[in-house]
Amino acid sequence: MPTVSANDLLALAPVALLALGGIALLLTEVFLTTGRRGYQAGLTVAFAVAAGAAALAAGNLGPVFRGQATADGFAAFVTVTVCGGLALAAMVGASWLGARDAERGEFYALALFATAGMSLLAMATDLLVAFIAIEVMSLSIYALAAFMRRGRKPAEAAFKYFILGAFSSALLLYGTSLVYGATGTGGRPGSTLLADVARGAGSPLLVAGLALILAGLAFKVGAVPFHVWTPDVYEGAPTPVTAFMAAGVKAAAFALLARVMMATYAGTAGSADGFFLQLIGTLALLTMLVGNLFAVPQRSVKRMLAYSSIAHAGYLLLAVLAAGQPALRADALSGLLFYLASYTVAAIGAFAVLGAVEDRGTGPGAEPPGACDVDRLAGLSRRRPLLAFAMAVFMLSLAGVPPTAGFVAKLLVFKSAIAAGSWALAVAGILTSALGAYYYLRVVVFMYMRPAAEGEPEGIFSPLLSVALLIAVVAVVVLGIGPEPLSGFARAAAAMVR
Amino acid sequence: MLLATVIFLPLAGALVAALLPAGEPAQHRGWALFVSAATFAASLGLWAGFDASMAAPEFQFELNLPWIPSAGIGFHIGLDGVALLLVMLTTALTPVVILSAFTVGERVKEFMISLLVLETAMIGTFAALDLVLFYVFWEAILVPMYLLIGVWGSVNRLYATVKFFLYTFAASVLMLVAILYVFAHDGGSFDYLAARQSLQVTPGAQTALFLAFALAFAVKVPMFPLHTWLPDAHTEAPTAGSVILAGVLLKMGTFGFFRYALPLFPDAALAWRPAIAALAVVGIVYGALMCLVQQDMKRLVAYSSVSHLGFVMLGLMALTAEGLTGGVYQMLNHGVSTGALFLLVGMLYERRHTRLISEYGGVAKQVPWIATAFVVVTLSSIGLPGTNGFVGEFLILSGTWLGRMPGTQLAAAVAATGVILGAVYMLWLVERVFYGKIGNEENRRLPDLSLREAFVIVPMIALIVVMGLVPQPFLAPARPAVERLVTRMQEADRRLRARDPARPPSVGTQPPAVAGLPAAAPGGALAALPAAGEGR
Repeated sequence: MPTVSANDLLALAPVALLALGGIALLLTEVFLTTGRRGYQAGLTVAFAVAAGAAALAAGNLGPVFRGQATADGFAAFVTVTVCGGLALAAMVGASWLGARDAERGEFYALALFATAGMSLLAMATDLLVAFIAIEVMSLSIYALAAFMRRGRKPAEAAFKYFILGAFSSALLLYGTSLVYGATGTGGRPGSTLLADVARGAGSPLLVAGLALILAGLAFKVGAVPFHVWTPDVYEGAPTPVTAFMAAGVKAAAFALLARVMMATYAGTAGSADGFFLQLIGTLALLTMLVGNLFAVPQRSVKRMLAYSSIAHAGYLLLAVLAAGQPALRADALSGLLFYLASYTVAAIGAFAVLGAVEDRGTGPGAEPPGACDVDRLAGLSRRRPLLAFAMAVFMLSLAGVPPTAGFVAKLLVFKSAIAAGSWALAVAGILTSALGAYYYLRVVVFMYMRPAAEGEPEGIFSPLLSVALLIAVVAVVVLGIGPEPLSGFARAAAAMVR
Repeated sequence: MLLATVIFLPLAGALVAALLPAGEPAQHRGWALFVSAATFAASLGLWAGFDASMAAPEFQFELNLPWIPSAGIGFHIGLDGVALLLVMLTTALTPVVILSAFTVGERVKEFMISLLVLETAMIGTFAALDLVLFYVFWEAILVPMYLLIGVWGSVNRLYATVKFFLYTFAASVLMLVAILYVFAHDGGSFDYLAARQSLQVTPGAQTALFLAFALAFAVKVPMFPLHTWLPDAHTEAPTAGSVILAGVLLKMGTFGFFRYALPLFPDAALAWRPAIAALAVVGIVYGALMCLVQQDMKRLVAYSSVSHLGFVMLGLMALTAEGLTGGVYQMLNHGVSTGALFLLVGMLYERRHTRLISEYGGVAKQVPWIATAFVVVTLSSIGLPGTNGFVGEFLILSGTWLGRMPGTQLAAAVAATGVILGAVYMLWLVERVFYGKIGNEENRRLPDLSLREAFVIVPMIALIVVMGLVPQPFLAPARPAVERLVTRMQEADRRLRARDPARPPSVGTQPPAVAGLPAAAPGGALAALPAAGEGR
């Protein structure tokens, strides 16, 4: 009879803490008799911080639960990143929902459950565990996307996300079954993703299974051509949810993608052919091109950020590609981790500013057209100079202009791509990122160089929002000027990957 | 440490300024002036402490600290003579520019902060000895400059600033790929010295790397046909932005060729040199011809920059000691004299709020001191003997004439027509603006140079005269760097000739016997050239 060891529990502590936080918020919401929900965001942040600390404390335990998961530095880094994203999104969400009189405990509970799924996903080395983690994450996010349930757009977004997400889950599951079929070890004690894939070397069934898994994950990260849901869902979902989705889901899904990649190219000769690498390379190229090209004509900043998040998935795929070479693994994974962290702060920050100035309309369910139009930002530097400054910093970071975190992240990712010999992809990536400068800068142009329209409201003022933005701005700038602590940490984490 | 102080003093000043209240413009002006003056004072320490002898180390005031060790990136800074001269140009120009920008009335706080941040980035670009550090400073220039043009510029500023940013950003990102490629092939280091020492790539890759670097630099210079952002940016920028743009930013491109593109990839550079020199010559003539048809004073000065920077590039591509020295000297000259031209045009603009040449005419009677200053600066710009411009152009043309690049004498001959055209368009501009009858009644009530404006323009004029009469102190620091580059390129040339015995030598000066022969070359414009033989 298998027993659960202390290590297993220690490794599971972050997931357990996050789930516990979700339950606590659900329970207190039931017994709440007043409308005072000020504690909820604070509680969420506290659980997120605790979970992040638990992940750090667990450190490098190695395989747990008989190899179905692993608590390595990589997992810890991803967990800390998604917990940080959760904390920021919770603070942003509190101010955004508060301004709309829509703050409920379920919001935070769902976000906590989603994060629990994400941190489990970061640890998963077994495809079934990964599938469960993905479902925990996805179901919570579907519900979060529909959180403003009276509106038409959120309903559409949630429905679209659910249908396509369920489809991608099916692909993932089918791929998993093929992999198990090819390796024939599913469910047996000691079976792990890594071992399975290495054992099934050369089998066409395995290649097909991996391709399906790749397609399923490409849906989750929004890689082209599996991206079509992204703009609508990102635009329709409540802005704080979009922020959380863009950062958290991406981080968790990329963690699994990297693990699949490493398992496929574990250094054993003949474990896979170039097919899988070419597939990822093609995905990366398409994703970078389409994401950037389609972001250019968008008038809605939210939609623009949605396409830009596709583009960023493309850059991240370059790092995944480089991680296929065992010699470059540490470099590539540390670049991936740093990119995820820097994208998390910059993207959540950008969505937070957007959420603060977007048009609230007149009542629940009202959706003014053009709520997130770039016009809404015109003259922001005069109305809200600090808000405009924060947005400018986030835009520069997303564009990859030094000295911001986004630049260092791009540098690390492209460095590993070039070391891996895919310099043509790196050139394509960097040229499309120059295109990115155009649409990010347009936001700055509107904020700083266009006069404000008459009678624009000033948007949301909230101490929590200010704190979240302050943290994000400081993180972006500090990571841009002195990235060593984090990049060193990412490197150590990547070196510890099992 | 002194160098790091000079780099980061303006940034520290900008951070302090960020804390001062925005409602006190006078305070911000005074503070920015103080900080930039202090930076200049500190940089005088660099000037005094620099050892210009050949025996001295190549890079002085060196500082090498780990920055991002996990990625192999260091904070490595140091100056050779050329970088020193350009740092001095930057620190000297910035207080003048800040003083000239006291008339900016809108968002003074942000304006001054942008200028100070810009100064740090510019000095850092010249001082960096790590490729990534260089790239960071190089790109960090864009944001403050983008804001300067976009927020404080004139009517078409949005178009101009977006064009400026995208043009330079898109051209630079390929350089980043090239830097990463260098990293992967020089033993895993971003350090400039290590890259120069131990870069091992195939000839094809070297060509691609050279072109990636050269593209970034050529856009910044700007070289024909990549210059189209410059007239727009210059015309729409506020005076301070134009002066910094012309005075320092364009030099980053030529400096990039001198420091990075040539020494890092000598073989590819030698192969592409005739093409670049040809573009430089085309730029000289094209820029000058464009000047003849401009209606707008700032646009005219902008096109004259294209022409003048063509001279600099020609001098660099000649790869002779004279040509390189002249190129370096002309970088300084162009910074001083074109900077001064933009300052004077800015003063006229503040009085009349128009840059159209046709709106002026005969204003010399109303503003005799401005007219005098303008004439002196014009003479420097067209290279009259006794001004700094003469020294630079003379060295460039003689260095090119004596060089060994294929077709070098033709290049020098065509370039020399640019000198004549330069005299034509500049003197014609002076005539149309300052002389003749006053046709426009508004020009009758113009105030002359104010005391503040005198403080702005007198240092520039003093520099023009001093650099024209006593060039030696400004030439001396550049010599070791120039000699080293010539030696380095000669070695590369020798290597190529060892592989291909039929290849004639292409670097350095021709022996005097050969140089003496074509002294009777056609073209009256070359009258100055026989003197080159005596000059050596």
